[in-house]
Amino acid sequence: MKGYLGEFEELVLLTIANLGDGAYGLALLRDINERTNRNLSLGAMHSTLTRLEEKGFITSYLGEPTNERGGRRKRYFELTDNAIVALNDMKSLRDQLWSNPKIDLSL
Amino acid sequence: MKTQQQHPPQFAVKLLRWWAKGSDIEDLIGDMDEEFAYRAENESLLKARLFYIYQTFSLIFSYAVKRRKASAAYSDYYSANTGAMIMSYVKISVRNFSKHKLFTLVNVVGLALGMSVCLLALSIAVAIYQTDEWHARKADIYQINTFIDDQYGTRTFASTFPTIADKLTADYPFVEEAVAVRSEFSPAFLVNGSSISFDGYYASRSFFEIFDFPLLQGDPGTVLRDPNSIVLTQSVAYTLFRDEDPIGKMLETAEGAFQVTGVMADPRSTHLYFDFLASASTYTQQADLTSTQQWGPFMDNYVYIRVRPNTPQASMKEALAQVASLAEEYHPDTSIELQATNLGDVVPQWNVSNNIGIGWDLPSLYFFFSIGLLILVPAIFNYTNLSIARALKRSKEIGIRKVVGAGTGQVKTQFIVETMVLTFIALLGSVLIYLPVKEQFLDMIYAAEVMDTSMGWIQLSVFLIFCLLVGWFAGLFPARFFASLNPVYTLKGQLSGQKVSVSGIKKGLFVFQFFVSLVFIIGVGAIAKQYAYVLNNNHGFNSDNVLVVPFERMDKQVAINELRAHPDVKAVTTAGQLPGVPLSNEVKVLPNTQDTLEVNQVYIGEEFVEQLGMTLVWGSATQLNESNQNEEKVLVNQSFLKSMSVFDQQSDSLQFTLADGTQCRIVGITEDFNYEPLDRLIRPLIFRQSLAQSQYALLTVNSSDIQLTMSELEDIWHTIDTNVHFEATFLDDEIEKAYSFIRAQIKIFSYLSVLAISISCLGLLGMVSYTTENRTKEIAIRKIMGATMNSLYFLLTKDFIRLIGISAMIAIPFSYLFYDKLFLYFLIRYGPGLGIQEVVVSIIFLFAVGFASIFWQTSKVASSNPSENLRYE
Repeated sequence: MKGYLGEFEELVLLTIANLGDGAYGLALLRDINERTNRNLSLGAMHSTLTRLEEKGFITSYLGEPTNERGGRRKRYFELTDNAIVALNDMKSLRDQLWSNPKIDLSL
Repeated sequence: MKTQQQHPPQFAVKLLRWWAKGSDIEDLIGDMDEEFAYRAENESLLKARLFYIYQTFSLIFSYAVKRRKASAAYSDYYSANTGAMIMSYVKISVRNFSKHKLFTLVNVVGLALGMSVCLLALSIAVAIYQTDEWHARKADIYQINTFIDDQYGTRTFASTFPTIADKLTADYPFVEEAVAVRSEFSPAFLVNGSSISFDGYYASRSFFEIFDFPLLQGDPGTVLRDPNSIVLTQSVAYTLFRDEDPIGKMLETAEGAFQVTGVMADPRSTHLYFDFLASASTYTQQADLTSTQQWGPFMDNYVYIRVRPNTPQASMKEALAQVASLAEEYHPDTSIELQATNLGDVVPQWNVSNNIGIGWDLPSLYFFFSIGLLILVPAIFNYTNLSIARALKRSKEIGIRKVVGAGTGQVKTQFIVETMVLTFIALLGSVLIYLPVKEQFLDMIYAAEVMDTSMGWIQLSVFLIFCLLVGWFAGLFPARFFASLNPVYTLKGQLSGQKVSVSGIKKGLFVFQFFVSLVFIIGVGAIAKQYAYVLNNNHGFNSDNVLVVPFERMDKQVAINELRAHPDVKAVTTAGQLPGVPLSNEVKVLPNTQDTLEVNQVYIGEEFVEQLGMTLVWGSATQLNESNQNEEKVLVNQSFLKSMSVFDQQSDSLQFTLADGTQCRIVGITEDFNYEPLDRLIRPLIFRQSLAQSQYALLTVNSSDIQLTMSELEDIWHTIDTNVHFEATFLDDEIEKAYSFIRAQIKIFSYLSVLAISISCLGLLGMVSYTTENRTKEIAIRKIMGATMNSLYFLLTKDFIRLIGISAMIAIPFSYLFYDKLFLYFLIRYGPGLGIQEVVVSIIFLFAVGFASIFWQTSKVASSNPSENLRYE
């Protein structure tokens, strides 16, 4: 496992998994901005995507040209096995912590 | 497509694309466009646009774009210029050059000629800027300059009051050493019976403490300590003493005897220029100066100080201000300011008078460079023209390059690299031209031997940078031209939007080139005419067949008698100074009790006037012999009388008094003739008869075998005194020597005109080949339709004839004004001016050379077979 997975990176990876075939830059940005009520820029979004790609958590491919974007293609993102393992590790770590009977986090 | 208003801001897209430098950002722009369309529909267009710009900047500063740019730099497709690509361009250029040999030759020769003058200027500039860089503590050495502000205006002098040297060392501890140098000391040393003149300085004892001039013999601390000490440079020591040890030898001069205390290496790469250094104590001992005199005149006196390392500028300024206020006490109504100039900045300066040594200033350097550029710029434009003339041949190559993906920048780089390769080849040629030209040039300028213009690495790198700059500049226009070609047209064999005719700028350029050539060539003619004139013209005396023999220590009367006995010698007279060469002997005349008038005086012997065929307008020269103790009989020229008439004179206008009290009576008046060279004003002149003051015997010789006569005269001479050297020269040769500056001018102008003409003709060749190449088909069709050879020649040449005509029309009045009214007036005041003959000859010459190059190209096209030309392409 290379690289440490940050909070935002984890969020992006999960969103990619949620969007499935439709996971391209703008769709991810909109989804995250909506869910988390943040106001991220496209630059920040793509920077994170680039870093994730470098760390080997995602791969990307260009889609077919679409009319609504003036013939420009979308870049779609997919999770790699590494990412799936990392997300599972993360989740089990959290589950472990949450499952402790002594925990008292009731709102 | 959406309507025009709903486009995202184009500048933002362009900015992003430019920033991304060709990396793939299609998906990013797609994302932005999609968002823009969404917002434009659901919010306002303005908001969408602003948001778009915001997103653009967020991307520009994002890691995503940075990363993509970085990876694009290593990808297979890359539109910038890599090292490998540039190597490929160099290879292509070399192949192209060897394929088009005429084009290469014409351009290399043109640029090599054009660059040679600039190289000369550059090498001299490098030498000047490196002057005095070799002194170990150069940073702490300063020359003190004087800034004067008085009723005549403000001026800066390199010289200053000599007494401040002692003042500064005594009162200001940060001044370690100070040296006072006094220039303009030109004594004649008497060695082995002959006297040789040298130029040197008086310098105080710390000279060798401040400067690092290496002493070959003698102790730096003491060589200049005692009065009448002298330090010779190595070459002077050799001239005077050959292989003997010079130390301790005495040198007799008119200013007293000097003892040689040291020998130094010849000064090199320094702003000082001297043959020897005499101890300043000699001078101060001779003239025991009062304080008023110490602070009085400062011309030709220089002070250098060496301060402690890291002395603040402020304390130096303060010290100089205090000393300057002392000086102001002796100069009422004058504001004096002293400035310290670091040794490295002494040459070149902008506007400083009374410089010591070589004294190169910036204006003359700039002038030199502008002459160089005047020659170089036409060569650069020729290259431009010729490159574009080849467009037909190369446009297909460019078309294919562009089709397979070359960007505009790459095509531009290709042509600039190609030009740089060409200028580099031209640089090699130019250096070959520059080396002999430099030798010739340095021979002509004053104090050239202290300048170090040898080829060092600084000079080489300056040359290389200059050559690359020339290449960049020359290649810029062709590069832009080729990069803008549209591959769709060029591959079809057309040049879109290219006019076949010669455009306006090119015409102007062409006229300019020929104008410059004509001005130079008329200059050569004009100066050559002056030269012929001064050599053949009678200055107002007869200089033919006159032998000049310096007396040296010979008994004059005996020598005259013995020489006169030779059958070939028609007459003998003597003179203190030779006619036709510049005079230096001045004397003060007192026309009345208050005024003085400075006039030249010449000592002459008996029959001088008759022998040299001078014309008297009044009186007779025979009365000169009648001088007695009370009254000396003299001859004067007309301008002497003119100058005297200004003053309120005594009753007897033929009588005047010299400053030393000698009473003179005018017994004859000569015409105003040029006793001095023709570039000098005719000044008031008196002739005094004195054998004792005469330096030369003037022998009018009439001989069939001059060599034999000379050797016989030498034998006679040695029978009188074997120790005195016999050195006879012809007066004509002595006069010719006085005009060596004109020979230098002729050389320079000939060289420049050869350059200018060659470059213009190369340019003409290029222009003609450009037009004829473009009109090959037209000429073929004309021939088929029945045009004669003559009409074709006329058709092809008429444009050029007109252009040469225009340049001649501009050049003739300009040359007349420039040469006749300005240049020649200063060169030879009493010369014949610019004649019509030189102008006509120059124009005919230029036309002939021009037509030859036009004819060469046109005849090729006009005589070719039309059927082949029509089949071509």
